[in-house]
Order: sequence, then C-alpha cells, then structure tokens
Amino acid sequence: MSWLTPGLAGIVAAIAVPSLVILYFLKLRRRDLEVSTTLLWKKAIQDLQANAPFQKLRRNILLLLQLLVLGAIIFALAQPVLDNQVVDGARHVILIDRSASMSADDGGEGDEIRLERAKRVAIEQIVESLKTPNVFGTGGDEAMVIAFDSAAEVRVNFTSDKAALIRAIESIEPTDSTSSLNTAFKLAKAFTGTRKFEDQVQENVGFVPTVTATLHVISDGRIPDATRVEDQREDEVLYYAVGEEDTPNVGITSVRAERDFENRSKLAIFVGLQSTATEARGVDVVLTIDGTSRSVRRIEVPPATREEAATEDGAEGSDTSVSIEPGISGVVFNVDRPQAGVATVQLNHTGSTARADALEADDTAYLVVPPSKRLNMVLATAGNLYLADALRALRPANLDVVRPADFQSLLDTGRLAQYDVIVLDGFLPLIQPGPPAEGEEPGEPLPGLPPGRVLALGVVPQPPMGVIDNGEGGAALFVEWERDHPALRLAGLSSIEMSRSRKIEVAKATPVRVIARTNNGPGIFEAADARTRAIVTTFDPLNSDWPFEPGFVLFLGEAANTLASEGDASIAALVKTGETINQRLPEDATDVTMTRPDGSEEDLIAAADGSVVYGPVESTGLYSFSWKGSAGPSDQEIDGRIVRSVAANLASADESLISTEPTLPLAGRIVATENDERAGKMELWPWLLIGALAIIMLEWFVYNRKVHV
Amino acid sequence: MLRTPPAKRPKDLTELIDSKLMARLSQLDVASRKVFTGKLKGERRSKKRGESVEFADHRPYVVGDDMRHVDWNLYGRLDMLFIKLFMEEEDLSLHIVLDTSESGDCGQPNKFLFMQRLAASLGYIGLVNLNRVAVTAVGQGEGGINGRLQDLRGRRRVTDLGAFLCSQEPIGVASFNEAARRIALTRRGKGVMVLLSDMFHKEGYEDALRLLVGHGYDLFVIQCLSPQEVDPPLGGDLRLKDVEDADTAEVTISAPLLKRYKANLNAYIDRLHEFCVRRDIIHMTVKTDTPMDELVLDYLRRRGLLR
Repeated sequence: MSWLTPGLAGIVAAIAVPSLVILYFLKLRRRDLEVSTTLLWKKAIQDLQANAPFQKLRRNILLLLQLLVLGAIIFALAQPVLDNQVVDGARHVILIDRSASMSADDGGEGDEIRLERAKRVAIEQIVESLKTPNVFGTGGDEAMVIAFDSAAEVRVNFTSDKAALIRAIESIEPTDSTSSLNTAFKLAKAFTGTRKFEDQVQENVGFVPTVTATLHVISDGRIPDATRVEDQREDEVLYYAVGEEDTPNVGITSVRAERDFENRSKLAIFVGLQSTATEARGVDVVLTIDGTSRSVRRIEVPPATREEAATEDGAEGSDTSVSIEPGISGVVFNVDRPQAGVATVQLNHTGSTARADALEADDTAYLVVPPSKRLNMVLATAGNLYLADALRALRPANLDVVRPADFQSLLDTGRLAQYDVIVLDGFLPLIQPGPPAEGEEPGEPLPGLPPGRVLALGVVPQPPMGVIDNGEGGAALFVEWERDHPALRLAGLSSIEMSRSRKIEVAKATPVRVIARTNNGPGIFEAADARTRAIVTTFDPLNSDWPFEPGFVLFLGEAANTLASEGDASIAALVKTGETINQRLPEDATDVTMTRPDGSEEDLIAAADGSVVYGPVESTGLYSFSWKGSAGPSDQEIDGRIVRSVAANLASADESLISTEPTLPLAGRIVATENDERAGKMELWPWLLIGALAIIMLEWFVYNRKVHV
Repeated sequence: MLRTPPAKRPKDLTELIDSKLMARLSQLDVASRKVFTGKLKGERRSKKRGESVEFADHRPYVVGDDMRHVDWNLYGRLDMLFIKLFMEEEDLSLHIVLDTSESGDCGQPNKFLFMQRLAASLGYIGLVNLNRVAVTAVGQGEGGINGRLQDLRGRRRVTDLGAFLCSQEPIGVASFNEAARRIALTRRGKGVMVLLSDMFHKEGYEDALRLLVGHGYDLFVIQCLSPQEVDPPLGGDLRLKDVEDADTAEVTISAPLLKRYKANLNAYIDRLHEFCVRRDIIHMTVKTDTPMDELVLDYLRRRGLLR
C-alpha cells in the first residue's frame, strides 16, 4: 500500500488530533447534579489527578471512538492506495503507437478505433494511477507522452500534471505511417537518460540495476523493428496490447506501375493484396486513372492461416503462440496510357459477408504515372559497335554515336542539352571548373562528368563527383548490390566475373552512392548534383562476361530510363507513409507550395540545388508540389505553375497485418502483454470514510447508553 | 446521594411509625451500659438502695432510720431491728440529636425521613418506658440548634414528640460543632445520647463528638447513608453541586473514579469508626433502605442500644 498525499494528511492530523483532545479537556457540556456532599468526590478527583494527568481521557470510549473517526478521515485524506500494479517508478514514459494499423476498428465497444482504446488504456491504467504530488508539489510520479509511428514525437515532457498528460494523450491523432519502436525508444532514452554502470554498483552488494523509467508501450504489436530495439535492461518495459488477434483486414501491400519495355505506351500496374480474414475474401479492385474508372477486377484473396506453436519457454507448459500467415494475392492491370496521369487503386469490399474491413488506410493506393517518352540519346565512344547495338535495342527516339573529340565540341558548344541520356564509353570529357573564387586564377579543365543524365561505363571520375582510384585491382566479383535499385533489378550481377577491375575508394562528403560493390570496392555508383545525374561503372564491361548476359542490355535500358525519368525507373515519385518526400525541382523554381491530400497547403523553400524535403508523410494520398519556373521532363504546367505530384501509400505488409501481437519481442527480451484486468491502483479512501461513518453510528449508540444509565 | 425530596412530608407520628411497628416497639426499652442516677424514680434500677418493691438486702438499724423500713417480721423472730433495703428505681435520660442539615434531604429512600422515623421509634420506646426523653434538632438555627424538646416522660408525650419531629425541615447547613457545644452545656444528668446524622460535615466531626461524649452520657452515633451514596449510579460528564454550600465538583465518571470514591467513603467511615471506638462511642452505619422494624427490633438490640 502506498499513500498519494501523505503530507496533507500529516498536516491535518497535526491540527485536528490535538484539537480534539483539547476539546475533551475543555469539556463540552456537563450535566448539573445536586448531591448530598462533594466532600468525597473532590478528594477522589484530587487523588486521581495527582497520579494521572490524562486520567480523564483514560477509558473514555467516546473520545476513543472520535479519535478513530478522525483517524479514518485523516487516513482517507492521505489517499492510501493498494498497489496491485507495478507503477511505482517515479518516472513513466507512455509510448502510444499511432501508426496505420492503430486506425483499425476491431468492432465492439462503441466502434472505437485502436488508437482510441490505446488512449483510454493510457489514461485509465497509467495516468490515473500515477502518484499525485503532495500539497507542496513534490513526491509525485512523473510521466511523459510519446506518440510514435515511423517517427516519434514528444507530446508532453515529464510532468506530474495529470490534466496535461490527459490533454496530450487525447490530442494524439492517427496517421497512415508504419511504426518504428526503435525511434521511439531512442527518443525516450534521450529524455530518461542512462545510468552509468558504476552508479549502479553498490558496495558489498554488487550490481543493482536501478530503474530510471518505466516504459509503457501501448500498441497492437505490429512493429517490424521491435526486435531491433535495444532497451536498457534496468528499465521496466510494460506492453499493453490493444486490438484483437483475429480482426479481418484486406489491404493493398504493394503497388507499382511499369511501362512495357517494347511498347512504352502500355502501362502495367501491379497490385499486391493481403488478407488476415480467416475465410477467403472476394474484393473488387478498381483502377481509376485521372478520375475515370478504367478497370474492375474481382479477386479472391485466400484466407489467412493460423499456426500455433509451443513457446520456447517450457516452464509455461501449455502456452502456445499463434502466428498468422496472411493470405496473399495480387492483380495486374494492363492499360494503354501513353500520357501522364494519376492512377488510383481502390479495394471495394461490397459483397463480403462478414465484417468487412478493419483498416481503411490500406484500401486505396495512388500512383503518379509519367508520360511515356522515347529517349534522345548520345553515345560517345572510341569504337564499340556492340554497345551502340545494345542501346539501339532500347528503341530510343534517336541515338547519335560520336567520337570523343566530337563529344567535347558538343559539350563546349552547349548542344549537349538536347539529349536525354548521355552514354560515355571509357571516356570522360574535359569539364571547365566552376567560376573561380575572388583573387584566384581560373582552374584548368579536368576530365569529369558532363552536365545532364550520364551513364558512364569503364571510367573513374575524380571527386567530388567521383571516387578515388587506387590503381589496378585484378579479377573481381560483385559481392553486394542494391537489388531494389531500379537500374540493377534485372542486371543479373550475381554471375558476373571481371578479369580486370580498379581498386576504388569512396571519398568522404561527396554526393556518391555506391549501389554495387565488388571485392575491390565500389563497382557501380550513382552520383548526383545540381547539374549532373550519373550512373558509373568503374570497370569496363568488356573486361567481364557481362556483355554476354541478357542482364547487360537490361541494365543499360533500366539505367537509361532511371536517369531519364528523374527518379525511379518507370514511375515517378512514389513514397511510403512515414518516409520523407525528397524531390529535386529545377534550380530556378521559386514560390514552391506543397498541397497535402486533405487540401491544406504549405510553403516550402527549395535548397540551392533545387531539392525540397517534406516529411515524414503522415497520411496516404497525393502530395502536389507546384512552383514557378522551368519544368522537369515529367512535370505538368497548370495555370502558369509547374505541378509535380508524389503519391504516398501505406503499402506495408506489417501494417496491413493488423492482428494484435500478444507479446512484444525486443532485442534482448520478450515483453508479455499487460493483463487487461490489471486495473490501476485501488483507492482506499471511500472504505475509510465508510468506516468513519460506522464508527460515528457506534459512538452514537455508546453515547446514548452512557447518558441513560 | 442526589437530592430527592420525598413526595410528602410526614404530618404526625402515625405517619412516621405505623401502628404495627408501634406495638412491637412497646416491648423494647432503651439499654444503657451504665446504670444512671435519675431525678425521678423510674423504672430503672439504681445503685442507690431505694424505695422500690424489689428487696435488695438488710442492714442493722441505726438511729435516724425511717421506722417504716424496719423489718418487723425479722424483729419478731430475732428481736433485733433490721432495716429492709430495696432496689432504687429511677428514670433514664434519652437524648436524641437529629441532624436537619440539607444533605439529609437526599437519597432514595430519603435520609432525613429515615432519620425522622428512627428518632420517632427511639423516642417512642423511651417514652413508653418512662424514660426522660429529649430531642435536639441540629440545623441552621441560632447556635446550630433548630429546636429542642426536653423532659418528655410517659406515653402521653408521644404526640408531642411526633409533632416536633414532623415540624423539622432539612434546610441549610448545620453548624455541628457549635450545636454540640450547646448540647453539652445544657444537658443535664446522665443517660443515653443517640446522634442521627450522615456525619458528612466539612468542618469535621471530631470536636463535636469529643464534646458530646462523656459527662455521664452513653453516646451512640448512627450514621445514615443512602444506598446511592454507597454505590453511586452515576455516569457521563457531570458538574456535582453540594446541596448545602453550592460547592461544585466537575467530574467525568469513570470506573477508576468510582473505585476511588468508594475507597474514600470506606476510609471515611473507618476513620469515624476508629475515632468512636477509642472514645467508647458506639458507631454504626445504617443504609436508609434497611427496614425500620428490622433495624430497631433486631440490629439496634444486637448493638446494645435497645433491649
């Protein structure tokens, strides 16, 4: 048992108890009685008073009862509570998951979404049971509130003001982001601080972990990075699971659009679906492009399978953990769409029998489709016919093959801007360095990457737009590469052997991103600055067996498309909720405004290189950037302003799999869910007041008996 | 203990002693541990050889003897003159001192009424047995005497006795020492003195008893206490007020206090008793709920006041 306000009770007791006793000395009302003589009485009183000053109070049952009543009231004022929960640390961090899956409606209990239930749990089970500070404002428990999805945000710092905590909790709004507990824990750790090991070692005792804070995680447990969370062992982590394990949800877990390699006007849209329902679900998948419904497919999503596995903890006996394997399905829309547009994929649950769908955020996906465009390319080579043939296979609108000297003159005369993609074969033109600083001589032209979209093969440009060449490296193999990179998806690097390679090292603070690494260092890298965007292979493909693989042509094609389309290979701007939108606008872009899916606008300021950043993205939908100035290749001009749209989708299998996890596996331990019945602290003061009332009634009875002797 | 005036004060002797008790009282007589000389020839044997009918002895005739007392039968037989000696019979003085202070007007049964009835009973016995009966009411009057009745003798004076007793009221404070001095100065002869009081005198009883004892008087102190005084039925927080001098005592009745009170009462009685024993005074404590016939016919006989 502990006391919420012992100080107040102490003050009241210090005043009230002596007052009551003094009142008893002063004596209330005495009955007047006439007796034959007071001789013997006076003597008796003198005798008693002589040996016991408090004789009057001895065995005075009325005073005793009144003291009992007073005591009960004072104890009630101290607000005693029975601790039936472990909320005894002085500091509490309440981590509330507001990710997309927390918007799921499990049904029942007034149709509130999980986040509402989470807020209720936080207020009723944690905030209400915090120890209230005493009258001097000290001694209370403190709590802070962190709302997290893919990012974490402190809603209120450590405070013992319950009203502020409740306000902060109530103000948390759901987002469509994925969840990341690691971020939240790092944030919490930053506020709670850590205790040094030596501070926790006690003399003659050894290591005694000190609880710096109690972390209350309120979530449905759908946290992909939970196992990477390295919490401090001495911190207590309590996990409150909200939601149901068997809530059905059918959602879009991935969406992607690609133009056909042969026919750029053909657009293929791939949609991945996932169902956690225990029965097969039929859903209508509706594709809408620019507001016009283009196609509807009826898809049968197979049921999710539940696998029960005995837990590793044998001591628990019959405990089993249930893992849910969702039903997976997909659909591909093939439409003829040469021009740009915004595609919307919508799941329609009409026709489903049972409770339709718990989560809305994953029922719609957006895509911004760039226009099909045939590329205008230039190949600068000293003589490599088969490379020209390979590029021609990409069916560019135009392919000019020039010799290095001619290319240099194209560059010097500024005619290079007409080409969408520049391919350099073992050759780097001389680039005039930027305008010299004041008082310095203009530098000599150096070999480097020309402005524009450049695919350079078998060259090693120097930093800053390049890497450090450490000489000949001999035979090499690709050891790792970004399999998701648009240019490398189909490149088939795993089987490539190089007879010669270069030893490459990446210089610090250069805009270079290695996308494929050989055992001698970077094999393929990306580099981008305000004028140039390049993909460079540091080895000559002719010194490998790559040209004999189909992957080489596919690499050329994807790399050219990637470079030409500003960002991704065939599809512009697609981000997931929780990520950051990072767009590079033309350098002359001014008056940049971003419009959110709900119509609200925000003015952004573009960096010197034209890049704008917004994020993290909280809700799904289209984010439109508009500006004044020149347009990029896929940008549209509307009412004198250039507009570029970015689609944000949930597209997360983890968030769509909304069945609640009963445990939270962290890196070092597994945190079991807190029992729902584990209510807050049991307040005892009403019982004390009832006791006081009973004693008053007993006192009345005793008094009456005493008076009517 | 508490002031509880009786519903009705007695008007005459018959209300004090009923006829049945009266008949039984007639058989009793006042006893004295000493045989006293009286002024009149009474029914009491004197040390003096006197003129009663009871023969005591003979003695030789000397010149001057009353010729009527010569035993002529003996002269006829022995031819010598002898004087017959008879037992002298004389009356006994019975002095009843009644405490009429206000403290008597307490208790259930009422202490003063009890003392009135006891005084009437004793007086009646004295009168019936031709003793010389005197009654003194000690109270707030001049010199501590409220009134007195002296030299009553014979059954005819019973009504006077009753009227006097009924005329007394328990009022005020008795100046007991002053009254005792007066009584000691004014009483005559020798006899039996009976003091009826609760003996609660704040000024002390010692001086008064020293004055009353001796001078030929056989002193009996009958201390009358109400049952409530012996075992107070009190509780709660009280302001006790003395009926005589309005002195107050604030008490919270508790078991220790009651215990202490009883111990004090017993000590008080014991001290009085010891004081009396040392001075050849007969002391008895009587509770007012004792039946009068039992008290008079049994208890007082056993204690030697009556026979």
